[in-house]
Amino acid sequence: MFVYEKKLQYPVKIARPNPALAKVIVTQFGGPDGELGASLRYLSQRYSMPYPELRGLLTDIGVEELGHFEMIGAILHQLTRNLSERQIKESGFDTYFVDHTAGVYPQFASGTPYTAATIAVKGDVITDLTEDMGAEQKARTTYDNILRLSDDPDVDNVIRFLREREVVHFQRFGEALRLTQEKLDQKNIYAINPSFDK
Amino acid sequence: MAEKHHNPETGCGYKNGTLPSCAPLAAAYVPMQPKDSPQYTGEEALTRGTLFPGLDLPFMNLVNQDHPYAGTPLGELMALDFMIKELNLYLDTHADDKTAFAMLQEVIGLAAEGKRRYTQQFGPLEVKDLAWCERYTWLNGPWPWEYAERSGK
Repeated sequence: MFVYEKKLQYPVKIARPNPALAKVIVTQFGGPDGELGASLRYLSQRYSMPYPELRGLLTDIGVEELGHFEMIGAILHQLTRNLSERQIKESGFDTYFVDHTAGVYPQFASGTPYTAATIAVKGDVITDLTEDMGAEQKARTTYDNILRLSDDPDVDNVIRFLREREVVHFQRFGEALRLTQEKLDQKNIYAINPSFDK
Repeated sequence: MAEKHHNPETGCGYKNGTLPSCAPLAAAYVPMQPKDSPQYTGEEALTRGTLFPGLDLPFMNLVNQDHPYAGTPLGELMALDFMIKELNLYLDTHADDKTAFAMLQEVIGLAAEGKRRYTQQFGPLEVKDLAWCERYTWLNGPWPWEYAERSGK
C-alpha cells in the first residue's frame, strides 16, 4: 500500500512562468520515457521478479518514480501559472491550452496522450532488467535534451537532480542484472526463464 | 579524491567498480559499486542528486551549487530522506554491507526525530502525523507543488 507524504523529494521553486518550456517538459509527465511510464513499468514488472533483491529494487525505484512524477507535475503547474492570453498565443502553448487550459495532463510533447505502449512487461527477468536499463538511458537523454532547450536556471536545477537519478537507477538495475546472472547456470544463462520455470 | 580512494586490492579509483574476470558471453555487465565508496554529506547529496561522488556524472559537467530549500527545516528533512532513499537502493543490491546498514539506521533515527519536530512546528506531512496536532491541519499551508515565494520553512 502507499502512503502520501506532503512534500516533494526535491524542491521545485520556479520564479518565472514559461509556457513554451512547459510544452516540452510535459513529455516527462506522460511521454514515451516519462516518469509515469517509469513508475508503471517497475511497479508492474515486480510481480514476476524471481528474487527478493529484485522485488525490493523494483518496488523502491518504482515508488521513487512516482515522486518524480509529482515533481514534474509541480514544474508544469508552476511554469503555467498566471498566464495571459497573449502569452498563451505567442508561446505556442495555445494547442495545449485549448484542450487542457492550465491543467496538467499526461501526454507526449507531441500531444499523444500517455500510453502504456511505450513500456514493456515481458515476464522474463533478464529481458525486463535490460528494458529497465534502456529506459533509464532514454530518460537521461530526454533530460539532457531538456537542459539543452531550457534557459531557466530554476528549471535546470530540478532537471539536473532528476537526470542524475536516472544514472543512479541505471547502476542499480545493472547490479541487479549481475546478481541475477550469478544465480543462473554459468554454461547457459538462457537455459530457463527463472521468472516462469521452476 | 581519486587518489585517496584508490583501492590497491582491485586497482580501482572511486569512479570505478569491479567486473568478473571471466563471465558468460552474450550478457550485459555493469561494474558493481564497491563497498567503501566515498559519500557526500546530506545537503550535498540532495543538491547533486546522488549520495555517491562515484556515480555523479553530470551533463556538460554543469552541477547544482545548491537547492532552493538549502538551510531550511524542510530542506534538512528532504536531505535526510534522500540519504535514506539512496542507502535503501544501494542496500537492495549490497544487502550484506554492514557499514551502509548502520548508516541507514542512524539516518532513519535522525529523520524520524527531525520529522517529529518539523510536524509540531509546521503541521503534518502525513495524515498519521495528526496524532501530534491539536486540530485537523492536514489542509493548511501550501501543497508541495504550489509556488511559494518563501517556501521550505
